[in-house]
Amino acid sequence: MTLLQKYFSRKKAGKNRSPAPEHRPAVPEQPVFRGHGVRDQDVCDLALYAGHILLESGAELFRVEDTIHRILRAYGIHSENAFILSNGIFLTAGSDREGYYARVQHIPISSSHLDRVAAVNQLSREISEGKHTVYEARSILEQIRQMPEKSKWAKILCSAIGSGSFCVLFGGATRDALTAFIVGGLLYLLLLFPLNRPMSKIVLNILSGCFVAGCSVLLWKLGLGQNLDTIIGGSIIPLVPGLAFTIGIRDLGNGDYISGSVRMLDALLVIFSVALGVGVMISIIHALTGGMI
Amino acid sequence: MVLLKECTMAFAGTIAFALLFSVPKRYYPWCGAIGAAGWLVYRLALQTGNRMLAAFLATVLVIILSRLCAVRERCPVTIFMVSGLFPLVPGVGIYWTIYELVMENMEGAISRGTAALQDAIAIVIGIIVVFELPQKLFSVARRK
Repeated sequence: MTLLQKYFSRKKAGKNRSPAPEHRPAVPEQPVFRGHGVRDQDVCDLALYAGHILLESGAELFRVEDTIHRILRAYGIHSENAFILSNGIFLTAGSDREGYYARVQHIPISSSHLDRVAAVNQLSREISEGKHTVYEARSILEQIRQMPEKSKWAKILCSAIGSGSFCVLFGGATRDALTAFIVGGLLYLLLLFPLNRPMSKIVLNILSGCFVAGCSVLLWKLGLGQNLDTIIGGSIIPLVPGLAFTIGIRDLGNGDYISGSVRMLDALLVIFSVALGVGVMISIIHALTGGMI
Repeated sequence: MVLLKECTMAFAGTIAFALLFSVPKRYYPWCGAIGAAGWLVYRLALQTGNRMLAAFLATVLVIILSRLCAVRERCPVTIFMVSGLFPLVPGVGIYWTIYELVMENMEGAISRGTAALQDAIAIVIGIIVVFELPQKLFSVARRK
């Protein structure tokens, strides 16, 4: 074999990209035990379900791809082809020896649940080690899907703490931080109770921006904080799409351009709407008070 | 002293957002520590006057620590990376840019916008560079 051939054969062998697998055992050569009477179709359904949970909980695209691949390989299916977008999975399988399977699933992005990502990751590792039959794995996935959310009051408190502490990072004084703490808490109260229903993301964020600006100006006028800019800057922090931005960069870095740009666009749009809301509200207050602030 | 106060706040803020992203409870201290470390490096490096360098160094540190933690705790690196980067992400910078635009303050918009863009570029490069490092380097953190 010439050197060139060697080079190309090595390139081919490394084709299945799996960037930065976080300490996962190798996929076993022999397929692990599936359970009695489990068809190929059930295995594919299981893998698709795992991918579904990952994608809607805010995992990177390559992780979804990698997990589907691992689960299918572990149960002895080699003919699979998965095409994944930021809001959908297309999975087909089938060959002379394996049953045919094709399914497209639309997956709307919901709120981020990194605990579910961690749990599915753990499950996929255990499947590779042969610890679960397909039915067991399925019931574990159902449990993961129903993992309890944090209580609403804990979220409100965290939003308040986040706003207050980030206000300090933007150079706010203690009084500003206190104001941002209150506004951040009120903001999540608004998001979780009156505005907690399906509506356009853009409208929702414009409304939130208006609300933050209104509350901040009110508290500032009452003499609670000093610097209005840092108060508003801290208070909108719970709206900042940090997760979408970071995951978007990772997707772009892995070459998943469609998903990466969709996420970045989503992040930018959210921030734009919030800024628009704040700007509109401040302008209205300006007009009403005749430029007092 | 100011630095200490800011790092405490970065610690608290990162944990608050870790909870909002539903990170499992046992990882809170790690997330907070990574966020605070990133902010410390950012502030120290900012004194050199080079904004992009500061954001880049802070991102590199955050991602390295996140990968180490991910290996140690055997869980997805996403958990630590997303929370740890939160204080650095220029979300509020972009917000200020648009806000100045809406208020028709063009000079403010340009200076805020440039700063936000610099931060964003530095973070992008930092993330991509550190994820190119081979996984072997991080196996030192593996628990036996």
